[in-house]
Amino acid sequence: MKLPPNVSNADFTAALKAFASIVGDQWVFTTDEDLELYRDSYSILWGEADERTASAAVAPDSADQVVELVKVANRYRIPIYPISTGKNLGYGGAAPALAGSVVVDLKRMNRIVEIDERHGYVVVEPGVSYFDLYNFIQEKGLKLWIDVPSPGWGSVLGNALDGGVGVTLAPYRNHFEAHCGIEVVLPNGRMMRTGMGALPGAKTWQQFKPGFGPRIDGLFKQSNYGVVTKMGFWLMPPPENFATGVVSVPKFRDIIPLVDIIGRLEQSKVVQGLWNLSSPTTGTPPFAAHEAGPPKPLDPTIAAILNDPAGVDMDKLDAAAQSKGLPFLACDFNFYGPAKLIKAQWDCVCDALGTIPGAKFKLGEIRKMPLSPQEQTKTRDLGPFGIPTLKTFDLGPMFSYEGADVVGHVFFSPVIPRTGEAAMEAMDVFAAIGRKYKLPGPPLQFPSTIFERAFLFAVGLPVTRSPTVNAKLRDIIRELVAVSAERGWGEYRTAPAFYDLIMGTYSYNDHALREFLETIKDAVDPNGIMSPGRYAIRSHHRRESNGD
Amino acid sequence: MVTRRTAIGAGLAFAAVACSAAVGAYAPTTRHRRDARSIDALLIDQSVEMSRPMAAFIEANRRALPVVGVQLDAPGQVGLMRVLDKSQAIVGVSSGATLFCLERIAWDHGFRLTARSERCAGDPGDDACRQDVAAYLAGAQPLAASFTPPARAYRPSRADGMLHAWVMQKSSPQFRLSFREI
Repeated sequence: MKLPPNVSNADFTAALKAFASIVGDQWVFTTDEDLELYRDSYSILWGEADERTASAAVAPDSADQVVELVKVANRYRIPIYPISTGKNLGYGGAAPALAGSVVVDLKRMNRIVEIDERHGYVVVEPGVSYFDLYNFIQEKGLKLWIDVPSPGWGSVLGNALDGGVGVTLAPYRNHFEAHCGIEVVLPNGRMMRTGMGALPGAKTWQQFKPGFGPRIDGLFKQSNYGVVTKMGFWLMPPPENFATGVVSVPKFRDIIPLVDIIGRLEQSKVVQGLWNLSSPTTGTPPFAAHEAGPPKPLDPTIAAILNDPAGVDMDKLDAAAQSKGLPFLACDFNFYGPAKLIKAQWDCVCDALGTIPGAKFKLGEIRKMPLSPQEQTKTRDLGPFGIPTLKTFDLGPMFSYEGADVVGHVFFSPVIPRTGEAAMEAMDVFAAIGRKYKLPGPPLQFPSTIFERAFLFAVGLPVTRSPTVNAKLRDIIRELVAVSAERGWGEYRTAPAFYDLIMGTYSYNDHALREFLETIKDAVDPNGIMSPGRYAIRSHHRRESNGD
Repeated sequence: MVTRRTAIGAGLAFAAVACSAAVGAYAPTTRHRRDARSIDALLIDQSVEMSRPMAAFIEANRRALPVVGVQLDAPGQVGLMRVLDKSQAIVGVSSGATLFCLERIAWDHGFRLTARSERCAGDPGDDACRQDVAAYLAGAQPLAASFTPPARAYRPSRADGMLHAWVMQKSSPQFRLSFREI
C-alpha cells in the first residue's frame, strides 16, 4: 500500500477506516486497479518517480460527508486532493498535485441544486458536467444557454475553479468570472458561503456578486484553501439568432490596426461574441493550438517561405499572398441576438474596420436558434452554440515526436498584450522555438481572443510515454516559460508538473504574492492537508520538508 | 498512414441505421446478471464508416443484442448514460479516439475495459477482426493463437482513427447516475 508522505502505516489505515465509516466501504479505493483511474492520462511525468499518483481515493455523496472527511484528514494529517470529475486532461486530470495524497472524488455529488430561468442562474455541485447541465436544460425546456469549454465532459464547477474558458459571449466565456456565490468546506472542516450566501436565508446569493466586505471568491480559484461543494453561475438567455461575419485584410501588418480597432469595439461592448484570427494565405485555422497532427498541405511557394529554417519572412509571405490574390488575414466574428442587433453590430464592425485599406466584409446567414438536430449533426464546432461535445478528441490520428508516440498534450499558455505588435512578437518568438525543436504543429499560429482585454497564446506541446522524450519536452517548456517571463508574459494556467516553475515567475518584490498566499495557507490550513502543492501553495511544514 | 477514412472506405451506414432506432428502444437483455460474460448491448461508433461486409457480419452475429449508436455529443450522452446505467457488460466497435472517451465515461459508471482487439485496425473486414468481434459478441474471449492482449486501458495513439473491438464489464461501484435535481 502506498502511503502519503510522512504518514505512518497505522495512521493511514486508521484514516481509511474512518473515511469508510463516513462514505461506506465501497466508496474508498485502494487497489492498484482502482487507483489507475486517478492518473493523468496526459501526464508529462508518466511512469517516472516524480509522477503524482494517489495513495487512495474516497468518494463522498454530500457536502456534510466532505466536512467529516476533512476532519478525519486533519486528525491523521492526511493530504487530500479534491477533484470534481477529473477530466481536465493535460492540466492534471484526476491526479493529485502531491504524490501520495488521497483523492477526494466529488463526482457522486452531481446535483443541480437550483436553476432559475427568470434570473438566469444555476447552482451546481462539483459532479455536474457540462453534458449534465445542457441535457437537464433541454429536458426541462428551459430558456437558458450555457457556455461550454472543449471538451464538454468536465465539471462546470471544476472548470471554473481551474480558470477554464468557453467560446460564446464575453460575460460568460471566463467561467470563474461568470460565477456568483460559492459554498466551501474550509480546511478546518467548517462550511462557509461567500457573497450574499453568508446571510442566512439570503434571497440574492446568485444575483449580487460583491456581497458585504472583501470579495474572497478569488481565493478559491486555482488554489487549495478549501473544497468547493456548491457554486452558482450566471447563464444567458438563448439568443434568437446567430451569424458569423468575416473580415479579411490584405497584409500581415494589418494585424496592428485590426486588433486596435476591434479592441475598441469590444471595450465599448459592440463586439461581445468571440472573434478569431486565421490566415487564408498560410492555411492557419482559428484555434490552431487545438490542431493535432502534421501541418496540412500548402501551396508550394507559401510552404517554402513558411518552412524556411531561418524563419518566416513575412514580407515574402505578403508578396506571395498578393500574387495569388489571397488576403493574409481573416477575422471571423460571432454575433448573437435579434437580427436587427446583429445587423447593427455588423454595420459598426464594417464602419470601423473599413478604414483599413483593402479590407473586405462578408456577413454569413443569420440563422435562427436553436439549431435543429440535423443542423447540429452537420456542424463541426458546436461550442459557439453552447452545446458540449467531445469532438476535440476526434481531430485525427496521433503522431509521433522524437520517435515516441504522442499520447496527449500539455499546454503552455502565456497571456500577452492585446496588440498586433505583441501578437507578431509572440508568433515570431514561439515559432522560432518550435523550429528549433521541430515541434509538431502549424508553422504560424495566431493568439486566441478568448479573454476580453489580453491575448492568450496557447501552445499545445506533445506528451509521450517515453521518459526521455518527456524530459526533453519539460526542458522546452522551461525555455518557453523563461523566454516569456523575460518579455513580461505570464501563464494563466498550467499542468501540475509546472506549478512551481510558473509561480516562480510571478516574483515581483521578492515573491511577495507567493508569500502572501503561503501566509493565508498557514492560517487556514495549518496541518497542510488541503491539496498540498496545488498551484505551488504549501503550508509551513510542507515548505520546510521540501514539498512533502 | 492509414486513417479511419481511407481504411474503412465508403461502407454501409450500418451504425447510423441500426442505432438511431435502437437508442430509444434500448432495454438490457437481462439486469444485474451474475454471469459477467453475458452482454447487454452492442455499441457502434457512429463517427466511423463501417465496411459493408463487416456491418453484415455484425448484423448476423449480434443475435437479439440491442445496438446502441455512440456519438460524442450531448444528445448521444443521454442514450449512452441510459445504457451504462442499466448494463452489466457491453461490447463495442469504435475508433480508438471514441474508445478513449468511452472508457473514461464508463469508468464513472463502474465499468472496466476487459478485452480489446486492435486486429480490426489493419483491415476491418479480415478474419482476425471478425474472429474477435464474434468472440466478444458471444461473450467469450478470443482464442486465436496470434492474439496478443494489448494494454487494457486505451491510450491515444496512431490508431486513434482506426477500428477497435472491445468489451467492458461493470465491476466497481457506479459513481454517476443521471444528474440529480434537488
